[in-house]
Amino acid sequence: MSRGTLRIYLGASPGVGKTYAMLSEGQRRAARGTDVVIGYVETHGRPHTAAQVGGLEVIPRQTVSYRGATLEEMDVEAILARKPAVVLVDEYAHTNAPGARHEKRWEDVEHILDAGIDVISTLNIQHLESLNDVVFRITGVQQRETVPDAIVRRAEQIDLVDMSPEAIRRRMAHGNIYPPEKVDAALANYFRPGNLGALRELALLWLADRVEESLADYLVAHGIDKPWETRERIVVCLSGEDGGEAVIRRAARMAGRSRGELIGVFITEDNGLARVDSKHLDQQRRLVTELGGKCYEAVGHDSAETLVEFARREKATQIVLGAMHQSRFEELMRGSVVGRIARLVDDIDVHVIATSGDTLRARAGRGLPVARRRLVAAWVLLLAGLPLLTVGLVAVRQHTNLSTQLLLELVVVLAIAALGGVWIALLAAVVASLLTNWFLVPPHHTFTIAQPENIVALVIFVAVAAAVGFLVDLTARRATEARRARLEARALARSTASLVADPNPLPDLIDQIRATFGLDAVQLVDRDDGDTLAAAGTAASQPTVLEVTGDHGVSAELRLFGSLSADDTRLLRILADQLGLAIGSQRLANEARTAAELTEIDSVRTGMLRSVSHDLRTPLASIKAMVSGLLDPGVSFSADQVHQALLTVNEETDRLNHLVTNLLDASRLQAGTIAVHLDSVPIADVIDAAVHSSAVASNTVDLSDVGQSLLAWCDPILLERALANVIANAVRHQPDEARVRVEAVPIGEHTVIRVIDRGPGIPLTERRRVIEPFQRRDDSSNASGVGLGLAITEGFVEAMGGTVLLDDTPGGGLTVTITLAAQEPLG
Amino acid sequence: MSKILIVDDEAQLRRALTLNLAARGFATVEATSGEAAITAVAAERPDLVLLDLGLPGADGVVVLESMRGWTDVPVIVLTARDEERSKVRAFEAGADDYVTKPFGMAELVARIGAVLRRRHQGTADDVAVVETTDFTLDLAGHRALRGGDDARLTPTEFAIAAFLARNADRLITHRQLVTAVWGPAADPDTNLLRVHIRHIRRKLEPEPTRPRYFITETGIGYRFQPNA
Repeated sequence: MSRGTLRIYLGASPGVGKTYAMLSEGQRRAARGTDVVIGYVETHGRPHTAAQVGGLEVIPRQTVSYRGATLEEMDVEAILARKPAVVLVDEYAHTNAPGARHEKRWEDVEHILDAGIDVISTLNIQHLESLNDVVFRITGVQQRETVPDAIVRRAEQIDLVDMSPEAIRRRMAHGNIYPPEKVDAALANYFRPGNLGALRELALLWLADRVEESLADYLVAHGIDKPWETRERIVVCLSGEDGGEAVIRRAARMAGRSRGELIGVFITEDNGLARVDSKHLDQQRRLVTELGGKCYEAVGHDSAETLVEFARREKATQIVLGAMHQSRFEELMRGSVVGRIARLVDDIDVHVIATSGDTLRARAGRGLPVARRRLVAAWVLLLAGLPLLTVGLVAVRQHTNLSTQLLLELVVVLAIAALGGVWIALLAAVVASLLTNWFLVPPHHTFTIAQPENIVALVIFVAVAAAVGFLVDLTARRATEARRARLEARALARSTASLVADPNPLPDLIDQIRATFGLDAVQLVDRDDGDTLAAAGTAASQPTVLEVTGDHGVSAELRLFGSLSADDTRLLRILADQLGLAIGSQRLANEARTAAELTEIDSVRTGMLRSVSHDLRTPLASIKAMVSGLLDPGVSFSADQVHQALLTVNEETDRLNHLVTNLLDASRLQAGTIAVHLDSVPIADVIDAAVHSSAVASNTVDLSDVGQSLLAWCDPILLERALANVIANAVRHQPDEARVRVEAVPIGEHTVIRVIDRGPGIPLTERRRVIEPFQRRDDSSNASGVGLGLAITEGFVEAMGGTVLLDDTPGGGLTVTITLAAQEPLG
Repeated sequence: MSKILIVDDEAQLRRALTLNLAARGFATVEATSGEAAITAVAAERPDLVLLDLGLPGADGVVVLESMRGWTDVPVIVLTARDEERSKVRAFEAGADDYVTKPFGMAELVARIGAVLRRRHQGTADDVAVVETTDFTLDLAGHRALRGGDDARLTPTEFAIAAFLARNADRLITHRQLVTAVWGPAADPDTNLLRVHIRHIRRKLEPEPTRPRYFITETGIGYRFQPNA
């Protein structure tokens, strides 16, 4: 008997129509004459889904009793006995009640498949083991029922039931997913458009089996970075050559998995031999930036040492570089670069990534640095060249005089000096003079010198060799330094070119300077007020201070912590001038921006004054009309009329008072002078007080879903004010026949208060705006007040560390959700 | 008994107006929106409408414009806004007067009285002579007399003074005045008007710097008060 086939309808979230799709498929097969039965289906009371069950045969569920409760489970035995061709089984990830045959429903399904019956099932992605964690981070809802990915991947067919977040929310609002009003807070949170979009993306990625690769981007893109526990710092070495992208991606993935930081570095050796393919390098820099990393360049004698030094400075925890293709000979001659890097570090993990193709030679590694190669050559000349020359001169010493011989020796010594520097030159001069003395100066084969002029010649020979060696060494060193400076300048130019578009390039610029010159810290300080304009690194030693001057009265100084060569300082002085210009233009831009902001503030203030005066004057108008009417001696009023008049005046003064309170609150919020006294507070009391102080009729508010013993970590006075505004708003917009519902429920570590009205709601695009102070929902209406209410609510709740969320009420209306900590947060 | 339609979305203000106007012998009808106001004007045929400019949904000016197509019921505009623009627009749409919130009942009742009186007298086209304690405007003879002497108004000055006098107590906007004096094609130059009014005041007012007859409604226009 062959095993049955498994088909799974995969959904990104509840309500996308998996069960419906499963039932449709069942109906389709049944219509074709296949024997289809329903093993287990959960319609969640959704009418469209229930209708889809139609005439399909349903295997009765078995009942399992557990601790006095009766639970219904799929009856596997009954299905096996019935032996249909296809069985429909909803909720693949379901955990069976204790006492059932298997612990998990997917095990039941395995059993059924083994019996040769085809199974069609449904699954939400949050139940996939590999995604469980990510989904939790997106939605904040922990799923305990999971299915191993491998089991799901074994299915013959996986269909994604896809639906746009907007469509799901529409279905939700129409009550197609849950009955209106039954949507609990967790679900409302779950069904936020952002969440739905993220889940959908995740589902598609999982299906394409590309989750791992995209996870890093994904987490960054969705700002899922809160539990940033251990911050790995991963330095990836950019090759600047074809094929280096794979290494970067791999490093980014490592950074993504450990939620670490990605740092790209391009190493230039200062021997001037390295040729950079700027196209590839640019591509790689861009890739690092796109993957959320930062890019630097470093210049040094030896790429392995420079890389390790850079990694140390950046406090890297891991180094990633591409595998190098060195021949066995190169490895023998120059040593393995990777090996050298590994030897140089013991506290940083080094990862060598295999790359395809043979084009990638990591920059970190062309074997020995030039300086050392030249030194070897100098030694070879010294140990082999000088003796060979001497042997040659011995053969012809009858035909040459001593000065010719000394000059020939001098040529070799100078060559050694040029190659190896002053010390080996000195040694070579001494060796050459000894060799000459022994073999060439009569009497031969003794160090005794017969003629005094030969002594003079030898001494001069050593002196000239030493002097020339010193000069050659000095020149070579200067040349190297100049080349290095040039390379550093070029590296900086490359780095800063990418910063041009940045409105505030100073911090990045300063950081680049720090990284390029290998300094501990760099600070840019304004001389006028001592403000630090930008800083990078941790300052430790005494700084070198460079003056920075520029247009527009810029006077600042660049403080450089760490060791600097003379050339570095020269280069940095030029850079300081550039910085001065940058600060100047930035200052201008800032001034322009401030002016624009002031204009903006001005127009906001005018608008605010207008609406405030309007709102203050409206109740004043009623009061004035009433009182001035009463004062008119020519008119007589009945007692009832006077009572009516006073009632109106009383109401309007309350309204004025409320408005003034709100104005005060708003200005305190804007000035940031809110005093918050947090405490563990019974939420039901605060809600009662808020209903009372919002001055709405008590029969307009339904408080039946307020948890009576629920606590929240909040300031009761601020919360009351916040809630009173929301409740007053809701009641004002509520149609007459319905009541505003206020509920308070515990969700995880939070206490969530929801104020639900069935009024006109607020369009998505308007929501940000209504929370801004002095923006009323409808500018011409004078019914809704200055529009301070929601701004104050948000300000107060955020001051208490909570959040305010505006959402559609399923079926129409506005739901304001206030989330507070349930108890004092630890730490 | 005059019937007054109160159009305002503020229940408290409606209550205040109804109560006070009823105590002064007016009958009142209330409407809370522009649409309801138009329906009420058609159904109730009020003698006067108090119209709030800041109605939710529809602008009061729009309501006024849509009423002016088929009824010339006097309209006093209530406004909490100080924006001259909306007032000017209201007058150009055919408002008879305006009151700024908050207002005293006495002022409102006086305005209501003036507007109703004017309505009963009809337009002042047939009035030949406007007499005040300080001067006399002989509309038929195109002369202004002050203390028996000719005040020597220029023809333009006289045309302006005469138009304002014919519409005594009414606020006349700059545009209305310019149209009446120079014709509809003329551009309303408020500076030019101001110069003419200053001349008229110097020639007719007892204290030109503190006018009693030719009152400036800042930003909107002028009003002639015959018996100040």
